[in-house]
Amino acid sequence: MELAYKPEKSMINVNGLIKDFGKTRVINGIDATVSAGEVVVLIGASGSGKSTFLRCLNGLETLTAGEILIDSVPLENKSSSLKQIRRQVGMVFQQFNLFPHLTVLENIIEAPIHVLKQEKVNAIQVAEELLSKVGLYDKRDNYPATLSGGQGQRVAIARALAMHPKIMLFDEPTSALDPELVGEVLTVMKQLAEDGMTMVVVTHEMAFAREVADRVIFIDEGRIVEEGLPVQIFGNPQEKRTKAFLSRLNH
Amino acid sequence: MNLDFSIILKYLPYLLQAAGLTIELAVLGIAFGILIGLVAALLKISHTPLRFVAHFYIWLIRGTPLLVQLFLIYFGLPQLGITLSAFASSVLGLGINSGAYLAEVFRGGIEAIPVGQTEASSSLGMGKFLTMRRIIFPQALRIALPSLGNQFIISLKDSSLCSVITMSELLQTSQRFASVTFAPMEFYTAAAVLYLLMTTVLSAVLSSFEWRLSKENRTRGC
Ligand SMILES: Nc1ncnc2c1ncn2[C@@H]1O[C@H](COP(=O)(O)OP(=O)(O)OP(=O)(O)O)[C@@H](O)[C@H]1O
Ligand SMILES: [Mg+2]
Repeated sequence: MELAYKPEKSMINVNGLIKDFGKTRVINGIDATVSAGEVVVLIGASGSGKSTFLRCLNGLETLTAGEILIDSVPLENKSSSLKQIRRQVGMVFQQFNLFPHLTVLENIIEAPIHVLKQEKVNAIQVAEELLSKVGLYDKRDNYPATLSGGQGQRVAIARALAMHPKIMLFDEPTSALDPELVGEVLTVMKQLAEDGMTMVVVTHEMAFAREVADRVIFIDEGRIVEEGLPVQIFGNPQEKRTKAFLSRLNH
Repeated sequence: MNLDFSIILKYLPYLLQAAGLTIELAVLGIAFGILIGLVAALLKISHTPLRFVAHFYIWLIRGTPLLVQLFLIYFGLPQLGITLSAFASSVLGLGINSGAYLAEVFRGGIEAIPVGQTEASSSLGMGKFLTMRRIIFPQALRIALPSLGNQFIISLKDSSLCSVITMSELLQTSQRFASVTFAPMEFYTAAAVLYLLMTTVLSAVLSSFEWRLSKENRTRGC
């Protein structure tokens, strides 16, 4: 009748999420929970709604119906609430979206200074630590255009981390990279997972999912079709659509 | 032919002074125009009903001659109890006029920035205003700069229209000397040469500015 055990703290709660673009239903009733420190990998065919789902989680898309709680706080479609949530949810994009008119260091300290109102010296110190962590300290004064794709994406990760987010969202972070540059970005992400960051990752890198994910979620037509441990989903999928997707992926 | 350009020398100090006033009108006019243009551009891309005000302003100003606008401000407004000096009317007219063209220039620059930039900054918790000021506008300005420079040159030449609302700028001053000395060819040639000098220097300054920026951008790749 009482709490015999303490449940794991949940970082993300999604209840009955629906998202329409005009008349098209793109997210069709998703319920999901992500615990603190958990790494969840989303897989699914192109157009299945993975990006849209991820973008709902930090309020880049407005919800048609349902609710999302971030660390128990409901995401409301008010700019004050959105700003609050977005400080806690970092996002890394396929195209990096670095600010081209700012140097690497300036990219990273921009939001800490102007949003968190940190002192510039403190923000720079944090930025330099993060740059060392992603192995790019020597690029601090470069402009984004002079970086390789892998370096650019690592800067984008450092930029998101500078806000000290509780959650990090990754939308195909390595899809725009030349194959030989994928590894350096995945290494940084793996390190982040080991440090205990709560992560939701859309990726086609199945080796990464096997190794790092605590859970894999397969999405099709805006619904969760199947979810489970990586070994279950990759080794012994139950649903026909999961099997079809995975066999297409392997060919 | 009895042209005597030596007569210009005697009046040159006055002509240069008048050219100074021309520059002053152009600079203040364009500065005011940048301000109005920016506001109009932001209103136009906003999703508020105020965007119709911006649409109306741009439509009205671009669809009527600057000379008519100057007449309305200088001769018309006093009837409504608003009397402005010729100088204030000139700056206002040049500002309102260039602002309508600059609004479109700024809007184009802002809309050329990929939506990913806004998404990245909102994901970092930056609000709309901060995003515009720190991320979008600095990039948009680089794109808008050539057209902004072009409008500056247009406004400099357009300031000659202010002669008809009693401004003693370069054209009006030349006109006055032309009639008292009976040497219109000499004075209007002098005026043309001075305008040409100003626009040439201005475009040289602007293109060296653009060149520096584009060199920067080549290393930045934006
Ligand atoms: N802003 C939008 N307006 C209209 N339709 C959209 C919009 N964004 C996405 N869609 C549609 O929603 C569907 C899901 O798109 P989404 O980008 O979420 O898919 P995805 O699973 O991320 O695909 P991919 O693997 O190609 O990135 C697609 O059919 C897409 O065309
Ligand atoms: Mg996607």
